[in-house]
Amino acid sequence: MGLSRRQFLKWAGVTGVGAVVFNGCRIPDHEIQVQSPVQLAEDLVSGRDNYYATAAQSGSGSEGLLVRVMEGRAKKVEGNPDYPLNTGAHSVRSEALLQALYHPDRLQGPMARIAPGGPFRQIGWPEAMEQLAEILQEADPASVLMATGAVRGRLADVINAFSQSYGGRVMGFEPLEQGVLRGVMSNLFGQTVLPTFDLANTNFLLGFGADFLGTWLAPVHFSRGYGEFRQGANRQRGRFVQVDTRYSMTAAAADRWMWVRPGTEGLMAMAMIHTIVSEGLGDPDVANALTGGQGAGALSAYSPSAVAAETGVDADDIVQLARTFANPANQPALAIGGGSAAAHTNGTFNLTAIYSLNLLVGSVNQPGGIIFNPATVHSQIQPAPVREWKAALEDMRAGNVSVLMVRDANLAYGLPGSLRAQEALEQVGTIISFSSFLDETTAMADLILPGHTPLEEWGSDTPEPGPGYETVAFQQPVVRNYRDSLAFGDTLIQVGRQLGLEGDLPWENMREAVRAAARTLHETGRGSVTMATFEEFWRRTLERGGWWDMNSRVNGQPSAPAQLPTSAPQANLAGNPEQYPFYLVPFESQALGSGEYAHLPWAQSVADPITTVAWTTWVEINPRTAERLGVEEHDVVQIESPNGRWFRAPVYVSPAVAPDVIAAPFGQGHQYYTSYAANRGANLLDIIEPNEDQETGALAWAGTRVRLVATRRRQVLPKREGIEPAYQLPHEYEHVILVHRDS
Amino acid sequence: MNNMLVKIAVPVIGLGVTLVLAFVAFFVISAWWGMPPAVLGFGDGPEQPIAFPHTVHVNQAGIDCQFCHRSVSTEAEASIPAVEQCLFCHTFGAIDGSMSEREGAQAEIAKFIEGEDPINWVRVHRVPDHVHFVHAPHIQRGVSCNTCHGDVAGMEVVEQVRNLKMRDCVDCHRANNAPTDCAVCHY
Repeated sequence: MGLSRRQFLKWAGVTGVGAVVFNGCRIPDHEIQVQSPVQLAEDLVSGRDNYYATAAQSGSGSEGLLVRVMEGRAKKVEGNPDYPLNTGAHSVRSEALLQALYHPDRLQGPMARIAPGGPFRQIGWPEAMEQLAEILQEADPASVLMATGAVRGRLADVINAFSQSYGGRVMGFEPLEQGVLRGVMSNLFGQTVLPTFDLANTNFLLGFGADFLGTWLAPVHFSRGYGEFRQGANRQRGRFVQVDTRYSMTAAAADRWMWVRPGTEGLMAMAMIHTIVSEGLGDPDVANALTGGQGAGALSAYSPSAVAAETGVDADDIVQLARTFANPANQPALAIGGGSAAAHTNGTFNLTAIYSLNLLVGSVNQPGGIIFNPATVHSQIQPAPVREWKAALEDMRAGNVSVLMVRDANLAYGLPGSLRAQEALEQVGTIISFSSFLDETTAMADLILPGHTPLEEWGSDTPEPGPGYETVAFQQPVVRNYRDSLAFGDTLIQVGRQLGLEGDLPWENMREAVRAAARTLHETGRGSVTMATFEEFWRRTLERGGWWDMNSRVNGQPSAPAQLPTSAPQANLAGNPEQYPFYLVPFESQALGSGEYAHLPWAQSVADPITTVAWTTWVEINPRTAERLGVEEHDVVQIESPNGRWFRAPVYVSPAVAPDVIAAPFGQGHQYYTSYAANRGANLLDIIEPNEDQETGALAWAGTRVRLVATRRRQVLPKREGIEPAYQLPHEYEHVILVHRDS
Repeated sequence: MNNMLVKIAVPVIGLGVTLVLAFVAFFVISAWWGMPPAVLGFGDGPEQPIAFPHTVHVNQAGIDCQFCHRSVSTEAEASIPAVEQCLFCHTFGAIDGSMSEREGAQAEIAKFIEGEDPINWVRVHRVPDHVHFVHAPHIQRGVSCNTCHGDVAGMEVVEQVRNLKMRDCVDCHRANNAPTDCAVCHY
């Protein structure tokens, strides 16, 4: 068949058009495909987030928090900018609360022993409550002891109401409690509530032993004030001298760090008072009262030259410091003390001397000085001093404690090892724990009714120290409980009902208890939130994270102080200096506290601000000590205490440690308390001697001498310092950018 | 003989051809008008690169639609999760089912991860190019997923149950007092 040119063109045209048309009918591949990419896009944020205001107790500090919650999951903790204490900042301990919530080793639900001493089995809440009620019904209330951490706010009211109604005893426990400071504030200033310190308006700040920027009382609150003190607008940069036995973060921040021999902080303060009084620099009325009308003569034992040798501080330095402190040009000047300065057998004497300095320069309840706090609206459970705990352990040993209820009071870990708390606890009939984690004490329990973590429960907090005026933080759950737990307050309310105590515990649950307290606040009609109806007030208060009344301040001055002692009580350190040549200066870990945050990996991984070490216990020693012992960094030494106890830890050599001092952090050395804490580092509380402050009976945790023995072991210190090289630009690069500053 | 054959065969073939043409015409018209008749496998959902059973994930594991199709309440499209997301759940999630089923699923996911190979799912629901369907306002208004997608939880293989033609959209919009301006969808 022949194909003409015309025909060929026709066919070609038809075929071409057909191909185009029919291809057009087909849906292209990319339109009928939906692709799952392999990797998640990091910036893909779907859904919406909510921020809930809540609060948490962080050690003794109180922090208002905003928690970002997305699709029912708490994602990030931030500081609440409204809350007067932390004003938007927050501590690493609060940051890590998320990990308490989602912790893989969190107790899943109530547990009971299969048989006494046997393993645990999971039980349901009805059975757990029944067992709890039965145990409490059968026990003699007088033999029931409840041990809690330091509890404030509404939960303290509930606990106190429960124990008074039931008839049991409540004791607070914290390894490093503030009993000495509390005692001195009461004796010297007549204050039952801890005051705050107006760092923001101080001109000259003198610190003794208190690591107030790192761990002491409310570091986030103080850091805010400190920022103002150093770099505030419209003011001169304040000057700051820290007198401390260890080069802490606070000491590092100071203009001058003066090392003082452990336990002689009070002596040094007395020498300053001697100078101020003898040179007529301070308030003559106060000087008169402090010396019993005898003038500097009554303080002759404290002349700078007399105490120089004992304190290790040059007499001239003391005189200069006293003159600077009392110089009218430097007012307001503020002296604060605590931490290791209070943790000696003469702790009360030390703090009395230190805080008396404020009386001489008129910095009490004045701007830039000590600011008194009004009484809190809720009751408190304050930690009992070690003296009382020794008696309680004796009670246990004698079989007088039939039931021990424990919540966040890790007695088996936190009491000095030589008190043998574990043995005493074994003599207790039944131990019931309400902790969220299996800590050392909970591991000895017979019945566990796990409580919520802070982000899951209702509550309130009356901070101590407060900001100088009445403040109540409100704590609300930001997510539903992640495990089968029940808030401790709710457990008490429910079991109270089963025991017929609802007369004293009239609330349905913790939320109602908090609401009842909020109602009284609403009725006052004052403060940061005032609303016509209670429901509006409640909503607004929860939204803001709390209620505070900036006008509710304490006015007036304390009455004239009593005469200071004419001779100083010596710090009675355990161990004789020949056999035990080193002062052990333990210090609270910034992230782990005294061990209560050791279960949170974020807290564990926070590098110590001075040494950059994380995840373990280390021992800071002077280069000369290291040379004498023949050890260098990473070598393990054994630290032996006079009571025969010891621990081993790698050495961190630092010239900032005095030659006769070794320093080591609290917080590690757990046997239990989740896989992140267990068998890691050493527990310093285990080796320190349980000496007490003579006045208050508080633990003198800085009052132990030790000796060091080199071992042949080596353990590489997990630290950042010196690991990363500096990536400095070579000199041939000359494109330096100068930042212009008006000054 | 031949004549007889031709006499019978021609009408039969003619009838057959007519029937086939009629069926094709019916099929095309019904598919144009609504859904094609579910014959010859036309009603079935397409075969997917992974036999992903919605039944197991929704009914047994109790996962909400929006857990995987996350952007549905905020965006136009209901997003399809990344393979990593599949792996997260299959590695850490509390998933029931026999060991062989679980391992089988994990192995299948691992293939895509290792090969860095995206999963090319075949689209089941599709509206023409000149239609802008935006999921978010529908979900925010409270229209549940199964209103349009049917009981996906009960489907081994996802198939289309509503015709999703303009009349379908407009009927529903009218019934729910939603806007019916042209530019609502055609913009």
